[in-house]
Amino acid sequence: MELSPYAQGGWRLLGDPRRFPRRPFAALLRAAFRSLLDDPQAALDDPDLKDIDPTVLKHCHAAAAMCILEAGKQKADISAISTCLEDCKLDKERIEQFCTEYQHRGLVTVVSSSIGRSPLHITDVSWRLEYQIKNNQLHKTYQPSYLVTLNVENSDSGSHPDVSFSCTMEQLQDLVGKLKDAAKSLERATQM
Amino acid sequence: MLLVLSVEHRAHLGCLPRAGDAAVGELGRLALEQLRRGAAPRACESAARKLNISVDIIQHGVEGLVYLLTESSKLMISEADFQDSINVLGFSDELNKSLVQLYLDNRKEIRSILGELAPRLPSYHSLEWRLDVQLASRSLRQQIKPAVTMKLHLNENEDRTAQVLQTDPATLLHLIQQLEQALGEMKMNHCRRIVRNMK
Repeated sequence: MELSPYAQGGWRLLGDPRRFPRRPFAALLRAAFRSLLDDPQAALDDPDLKDIDPTVLKHCHAAAAMCILEAGKQKADISAISTCLEDCKLDKERIEQFCTEYQHRGLVTVVSSSIGRSPLHITDVSWRLEYQIKNNQLHKTYQPSYLVTLNVENSDSGSHPDVSFSCTMEQLQDLVGKLKDAAKSLERATQM
Repeated sequence: MLLVLSVEHRAHLGCLPRAGDAAVGELGRLALEQLRRGAAPRACESAARKLNISVDIIQHGVEGLVYLLTESSKLMISEADFQDSINVLGFSDELNKSLVQLYLDNRKEIRSILGELAPRLPSYHSLEWRLDVQLASRSLRQQIKPAVTMKLHLNENEDRTAQVLQTDPATLLHLIQQLEQALGEMKMNHCRRIVRNMK
């Protein structure tokens, strides 16, 4: 596992006990994990960090985050992470602190797998059945029709206007038939 | 239900006997063409020349017929009601019979033309699907993430649109279950009763 020179620089600062005594180091690690896994908007406002220079704080926070993501991306094991941090001149105790925290937070892979582009993702469907009686152009139409709404999510912005369409009973049967074909082929693929 | 004909309408239809019984067939044809393709003043002119009647009479007659046929088809009035409605015009029996026949022969087609004027939501055309497995991405290597990618074809205001969508296996099964429930609703007693009673 390799880190960029910028990240390595940040870790070297983190490894320096004069710049980062024990408590601020632990606080920064917690903050880095929190901002990736819990709350992207989390601020670096832990009281233990108030004495650190803001530029240094930003550099080190970025370095820690990059290390977490890279470890997750490569599915690195503890020895790989340790070797990488040793190259940044971190002492054994601090390496162990990081690795413990990393193992404790098993969600890194989940977060990594959700980063990235994909087509609009369907999350749910709602439907409405109506019976048309008349409209202003034609009376006595007497036809059932369905209105189907697919709730979709955009990988970038999170929300997106839903996709709605109307269909007759035959068309809905066609749609359901095709979805069932897809599900069947999915089942066959998983059994291979 | 009887058709209520306004004074102007009756005046237009009053042109029909003046055109002569033979001409009514031609006027009926012109009226239907107007419904299918829109107004055609040149066709009216040539008909006027052929039948030796003034263009105004032809045009009024055609307009009167168009309105009569569309209103009757829209309301889906019965043969008897149609007959009673045109009786007030005092036409000959021959003319009345031609008009009734014209109505009955073309009612279905006129209704389907009117049906296209109704407000429409985007409607389903077809669905294509594909099974994908994501193996890696920039942020994560060595994945196995199955997904179903679909292309939904919709008809929207005369255009065909296609939207690419994706879903995961669990959501796919949920979609199938929900939509099957939707299909099942039409077979329930409640819906059946309403459909039966609304004819």
